[in-house]
Amino acid sequence: MTLHVLDQLPLWVEGDLGTSEQAAVEGHLAGCPACRVAAEQLKTSQVWLREALASPFNASDQDRLRRKVLDQIRAEAAVKPSRRLAARGGLLTACAASLLIATLVWRQGGRHEDSPTAVGPPPAPPVAARPTLEPPPVGHGLTTPSTRLQTRATPIQESASPPTGGPTRIEFQTTDPTIRIIWLAQSGPLPDTHQTSEEKS
Amino acid sequence: MFPGSEAALMEEGLSSLPTVPADDPLEQLVRRIRAGETDAFELLLRRTEARILALAWRILGDRHLAEDAAQETYLRVFRSLTSFRLGEPFEAWMLRIAVNVCYDLARKRGPRSLPPETLDVLEGDAASMGAEETVLFHQRRALVQRALSSLPHAERAALVLRDLEGLSTEEAARILGVRPVTIRSQVSSARAKIRVFCSRLLNTPHGGRP
Repeated sequence: MTLHVLDQLPLWVEGDLGTSEQAAVEGHLAGCPACRVAAEQLKTSQVWLREALASPFNASDQDRLRRKVLDQIRAEAAVKPSRRLAARGGLLTACAASLLIATLVWRQGGRHEDSPTAVGPPPAPPVAARPTLEPPPVGHGLTTPSTRLQTRATPIQESASPPTGGPTRIEFQTTDPTIRIIWLAQSGPLPDTHQTSEEKS
Repeated sequence: MFPGSEAALMEEGLSSLPTVPADDPLEQLVRRIRAGETDAFELLLRRTEARILALAWRILGDRHLAEDAAQETYLRVFRSLTSFRLGEPFEAWMLRIAVNVCYDLARKRGPRSLPPETLDVLEGDAASMGAEETVLFHQRRALVQRALSSLPHAERAALVLRDLEGLSTEEAARILGVRPVTIRSQVSSARAKIRVFCSRLLNTPHGGRP
């Protein structure tokens, strides 16, 4: 019984078999007319495949493609920097606004240090407040707590320096003209806090 | 100049592409484009557009769709150029994008029949032939086109990359994101199917002459 190599022919035809397999197939083809016919048909069909799939595009097709692509890319390249700048500007504004709001909130919170509902670390003793005069370690991320201690250490000076009038009004106009953020910040001590201080004294 | 990378697009390969010499001319162009020279992209187009157009046409079998695919390929290349890892063969990276674009377009198009442009293409090529030879030429190309359109997308892409783009089995495997043994299997199956189609003509008295 002869073992045909029909299954291996599609790989043999383009040299995709290993050296020994390739030689074995060729050895078989030499003595098997049926497989030889199939092998010849495969060779021919591969030639036809390459003939049929020769690229139909010419130079003008390529020029047209290039023009389309470059037009679109140049348009994108022109638009994107301005968009990026706008986005960056918006981000900076948002960061500045957040920082300002956070500072105001913190200042309000700092005046509640004697209140039992105040959130944050316990008030430091006067001696502990002294080190706040030293600069905070650079890049350690302790800037805010340190500043907080400093404020607590000098409550009288702090209460004297800010204006004692009505609340401060801060307005942010968003990119949507119909939306405006208004922030009212009271810089003076709140009545109940003031009362608590008086009761203590 | 470049937006966020489309790194996910590049994650489809199983392994990184082989390294190429540092003086790869395409890589030099990529460096210039990344540095902001948009005009260098035109040089990149000139060097690669013929191959990308042909690849898209061979995979999709439709001339207009192939032009759309080539255009989309270059736009994706431009937008995701920051995610290209220098040192890898740029052309293989671009071919991978082109194949993905072709798959996307083929999915959108759905099942297709015989490509309508087959005869248009034949007119020019067969102009210098005799009448009988022209008829045979038409028959051969129509037959091969029909055979190709019957192949699954994966087999067709493997066949195109391996037999028409001249890539090795390993290179085709990296581009298609499969193992080399899969490429061998797909290519073998595709070649056998095309032979069956062609044997109809080969078994006629006029057949057998490529």
